[in-house]
Amino acid sequence: MILLRLISWPYARKHLLRILLTIAGIVLGVGVFVGMHTANQSVLAAFRSTIDRIAGQTQLQISAGEPGFDEDVLDRVQNVPEVRAAAPVIEATVSTDKGNVLILGVDMLGDRNLRSYDLEGADESIDDPLVFLAQPDSLIVTKTFAAARDLRINSRIPMRTMDGDRVFVVRGIMKPGGLASAFGGNIAIMDIYAAQKIFGRGRKFDRIDVALRDGVTLDEGIAELRAAVGPGFQIEPPSSRGPEFEATSRIYELGSNITSVFALFIGMFIIYNTFAIAVTQRRAEIGILRALGATRGQIRTLFLSESAMTGIAGTLAGIGFGVLMARVMTGYIGGLLEEVYGVAQSAAAIEVAPWIVGAAIAMGLITSLIAGLIPARAAAMVDPVKALQKGSYLSPGEGENRSRRKWAMACAVLSILALMLNRYTPVFYGGYLLAVMAAVLLAPSLSLQVSRWLRPVLKGIRPVEGGLAADSLIQGPRRTSGTVAALMLSLALVISLGGLARSSYRSISEWMRIALNPDLFVTTAESATARSFVFPASLAAGLRGIEGVAEVQLVRSVRVLVKNVPVMLVATDIESLARRARLPAIEGDGDQMYRRAAAGEGVIVSENYARLHGARYGETIEIPAPEGTLRLPVAGIVRDFSDQQGSILLSRDVFIRYWHDDAVNIFRIYLKPGASEAAVRQRILDAYGTRRRLFVLTNGDLRNYVMRITDQWFGLTYIQIAVAVLVAVLGIVNALTVSIIDRRRELGVLRAVGGMRRQIRHTVWMEAIGIGAIGLVLGLALGAAQLYYTIEIARRDLIGIDIGYAYPFTMALALVPVILSAAYLAALAPGESAVRGSLVEALEYE
Amino acid sequence: MKFKAVIQLRGVCKQFDGKRRVTALEGVDLTIARGEMVSIVGPSGSGKSTLLNLIGGLDRPSAGEIEVDGAALAELDDDGLTRVRRDKIGFIFQFFHLLPTLSCLENVSLPLHLRGWPRKKIEQRARELLDLVKLGARLDHLPDELSGGERQRVAIARALSVFPPVLLADEPTGNLDTSSGIEILRLIRDLHERLGSTILIVTHDAAVAESCARTIHIRDGRIAKDVRR
Amino acid sequence: MNNRWRARRLASAALLVAAMAQAQDARQIVEEAQKRSESASQRYEGILQVIGAENRIATKRWVFERLGSFGRSKALLRFTAPPEVKGVALLIMNHPDRASDQWMWRPAIGREQRIALQDRSTRFFGTDFSFEDLEERDVNQFDYKLLPDEGGQWKIESRPRKPSQYSYSYLWIDKSKYTIRKAEMYNKSGLVRVIDYRDFAQVRGIWTARTTEVLDVKRKSRTILKFDKLEYDIPLKEDLFTVEALRRES
Repeated sequence: MILLRLISWPYARKHLLRILLTIAGIVLGVGVFVGMHTANQSVLAAFRSTIDRIAGQTQLQISAGEPGFDEDVLDRVQNVPEVRAAAPVIEATVSTDKGNVLILGVDMLGDRNLRSYDLEGADESIDDPLVFLAQPDSLIVTKTFAAARDLRINSRIPMRTMDGDRVFVVRGIMKPGGLASAFGGNIAIMDIYAAQKIFGRGRKFDRIDVALRDGVTLDEGIAELRAAVGPGFQIEPPSSRGPEFEATSRIYELGSNITSVFALFIGMFIIYNTFAIAVTQRRAEIGILRALGATRGQIRTLFLSESAMTGIAGTLAGIGFGVLMARVMTGYIGGLLEEVYGVAQSAAAIEVAPWIVGAAIAMGLITSLIAGLIPARAAAMVDPVKALQKGSYLSPGEGENRSRRKWAMACAVLSILALMLNRYTPVFYGGYLLAVMAAVLLAPSLSLQVSRWLRPVLKGIRPVEGGLAADSLIQGPRRTSGTVAALMLSLALVISLGGLARSSYRSISEWMRIALNPDLFVTTAESATARSFVFPASLAAGLRGIEGVAEVQLVRSVRVLVKNVPVMLVATDIESLARRARLPAIEGDGDQMYRRAAAGEGVIVSENYARLHGARYGETIEIPAPEGTLRLPVAGIVRDFSDQQGSILLSRDVFIRYWHDDAVNIFRIYLKPGASEAAVRQRILDAYGTRRRLFVLTNGDLRNYVMRITDQWFGLTYIQIAVAVLVAVLGIVNALTVSIIDRRRELGVLRAVGGMRRQIRHTVWMEAIGIGAIGLVLGLALGAAQLYYTIEIARRDLIGIDIGYAYPFTMALALVPVILSAAYLAALAPGESAVRGSLVEALEYE
Repeated sequence: MKFKAVIQLRGVCKQFDGKRRVTALEGVDLTIARGEMVSIVGPSGSGKSTLLNLIGGLDRPSAGEIEVDGAALAELDDDGLTRVRRDKIGFIFQFFHLLPTLSCLENVSLPLHLRGWPRKKIEQRARELLDLVKLGARLDHLPDELSGGERQRVAIARALSVFPPVLLADEPTGNLDTSSGIEILRLIRDLHERLGSTILIVTHDAAVAESCARTIHIRDGRIAKDVRR
Repeated sequence: MNNRWRARRLASAALLVAAMAQAQDARQIVEEAQKRSESASQRYEGILQVIGAENRIATKRWVFERLGSFGRSKALLRFTAPPEVKGVALLIMNHPDRASDQWMWRPAIGREQRIALQDRSTRFFGTDFSFEDLEERDVNQFDYKLLPDEGGQWKIESRPRKPSQYSYSYLWIDKSKYTIRKAEMYNKSGLVRVIDYRDFAQVRGIWTARTTEVLDVKRKSRTILKFDKLEYDIPLKEDLFTVEALRRES
């Protein structure tokens, strides 16, 4: 492609800054995509390797959800002839002064059949295994863990247990590598029977790790084990623990995909904008090429190649940027794992998967080619004779505008039709796309209209400069419409994300007001969601006896697999709950559903459970339990934010019967009228706080906690908002830079006929602010529609809850000065470049 | 000979620093009296346009002094130069340089707006000027809708908007057909006679050059001949 | 040709008979050794020294009681020193036809814990014995083969009939006292453990090694077990050797 080298390269070199600004959109779009997915994949890979490390030679794991199962299952498993080794495991997370640590309770006798702990010292053994077993305070820690806390063999380390604060003794230190590298070394090993006692687990195991005899296939093993333990147990390879995390990270991935698509869309407009202007500017050059014999096809190919090259440059930069971003984001996503596993997962290495690179290149290339299509066609249409006549401009065809409007109307009508048929997911998403398309196609006409409204305003501020700026906006739609569209999309994205956050907060507050109304919460950890420790049910009687306490609700919340998806099971006294904190029914009868659930004749599921897992009112849900499969109908559906994957509320009696587990995670305590929250809290702490691991949270504490979690949840959203605003600002900078170059002669004339520098600057600034204002008007309006779709998507596919529509007016208001001042700042450099430089050249500039 | 110099050049040099240093003007001394109509001729690249740009304050000389209507350009900063352009000089360009987005009336009003005249006065003056160039009927047309000759007339009207003492025209007929060229030349001459402006015309066109009372020939950056008729 | 074939058959038949006679001999020797060491019960205080690869020595004491003999015995091993392991106990119920049942008692957490069959090859609390080595074995649980004498002692190869971590062992047996002097245990990959029996003394007519030394070949560590206050045929109650008693006695 000789033309590319001879014609395009010198041009690109001359306009390097412009090229850089042009690819910024692609860089960001690709960057967000690569960054988010790479971070996710890296953390997931690290998590899988952690699982592998913890699993050792384990081929199958037997579990029954979080409640665990009775010890005698182990005998049954060990008696299966196909089993070479079976070792019980308890997992618990404990917080230390330097972050959480995962405690793996294992049977010290048998566990080495499955896992190898390379211990420090040539002896390759615990200092004294007998002492280790004889003393329940024994702990094996990793070298990393020990180094971070300056621990040696026989060092003491305090931890909070169910029996109160206890000091543990380091009786072994694992060398780095293998198991010791899981969770970045934040893992410790304890004897399982000691762990049962310390974590209040009774005589239960969380799971049994199994290695099969040589020659036994996994399927045979699963079949034999299934026959031995019965239903209600999951028997799976260790690797299938990944999905738990994937379910959590999927939401973030989807969210970031939307941001990526938007950034690319915006990038597309920026490219379009630049190329459209380049074609106008390079008309003479095109004319010469045509005069020299270049065909229309060659010209089109030339411009398409240029945009493809731009796209590839942007994609490559974007991949680099994405890798940088992934480094930052892995920490964040690793933190999310803490919710699932209790210990943060850090990714040791960032690896960009080939499919991500492939997808990124495809995205960048397609975006830039689409963006280049219209300008390339325009370039091919250039009439060589006219192009070679100096001094004439190409004015935008009114016809193009009209056909665009026609298409826009078609898109709008179709998208409204799609809304009516939005029960079908593809139709809904198609409609969403059409709505955005309509807005994009209408952008030039709308921005023209807004420019007209703006003209008197700008003129009022400064008659000459304002008028010139407004005229430039009105008369140069080709120059501004791309930017306005980009700005509009960015702002719509910001509004929709902000609105999603606002709606969520509003909806969560409403839920908290009803559901989280107890005065005090007694928990086993500072965070209400940690489930490593549990209370014995017997504590309830003691709490009821404390002066000022009116009512105590026992809540057991455990994650169990229903249809292979982890779901939160909440077992409590339904009658009391219905009396104190009755959530309105979304489906089903408000009174009847609580009555039926209390009687153990049904369950109440959360809206998001119903939506995400397709459960309907009246339908029977099957929940595998150690006692056998529990089958209960859905007695009602309520709006509940307890869990991302959805929750199932059932009677505590039923739970105890099916899971043989009467432990409690949280006591919800209602006070007698007039009782002081602080006093009762102190009384509970005095009675139990020193003897056992126990925290008393006030209602305010818990609400703050929920809000903090929500904030964390929306943390990425704010990053996305920042990205969107950044893209918007880049778009303005690009448009202005391009516009100044485009108008160099015009501004030169202005200076030649007596325009002062100050006046020229003001013109440029006002034009920028005008673009900002138009973008704001269109963006805030499109945002309203975009927000509707975002909330709909959240309801359908992300959180499964209808959080209601709440337009973020505060954010919209805040955006006005942000965008206008961003526009102003963006205009400073172009404004300067407009008044500097040779006037003579400017006048001769072509 | 008793006259008042409106343009005075002493030892003006202009070099362009590129990869190769190009000397466009070398030691030009020139005096032009108020009310003169002077044509500047010379082959391509001889430096005639450069001379015009320097006088017009669009560019600065490498050496030498230029005085326009009493203002020593060398001593002025950019805003000062702009003020000279705005108040003392009218430009007429080969390619008209009308703003394509503005109507005839607005184009002509532009310099007046830039000086902050009141709107009423601006419109009155712009209409007068367009009448003067016989475009009184096409006030609201965009440049695109006009012929080349008409565009140049708008440009002339714009140049005259503040009745500057000096009018500079760079190949005013260079982009026009013969009949339009003659028409424009006639208009310029007419204005010269009626308004008494000092006019400098850079041209290739012998007919244009000869229609001026004085013709300066430039060759290789120097004044080769200064002919008065 | 016919003769030749007959001669060959005769030769192989003779070999077969010889092998059977030898096997018979080996089994008889072991049977005799077992018979000579037989007692109704046993009690001793053991002193256990584990000498690690770095010559670090850890010393522990236990009391060992056994009721019944070969194949049907029950044994209880209770640690007495050092203080941090005091009270930890191991109850072993031997069976003639299958592997023993073993339970460990851990006083600090107040519960017993079954030692699963799969874990019998693991080391017994950091010593160089494995749990399996603590089982009492009956002659009928193995197949024997007499090998050429070594150092004036019988060398016998024994192969377990029931599942075991070992593929086979060599035993060296004193020809006069019928006491086992040395044992070497092998698994698929080779020599695992060497046990030396020393300091023989006669207690109630039974020649007993008062020092047993185990060498873990791979880890190159040794464990020396010394018998103190060794008694045979003392009265011991049957109900001492139950899981319930483990709890009661602590």
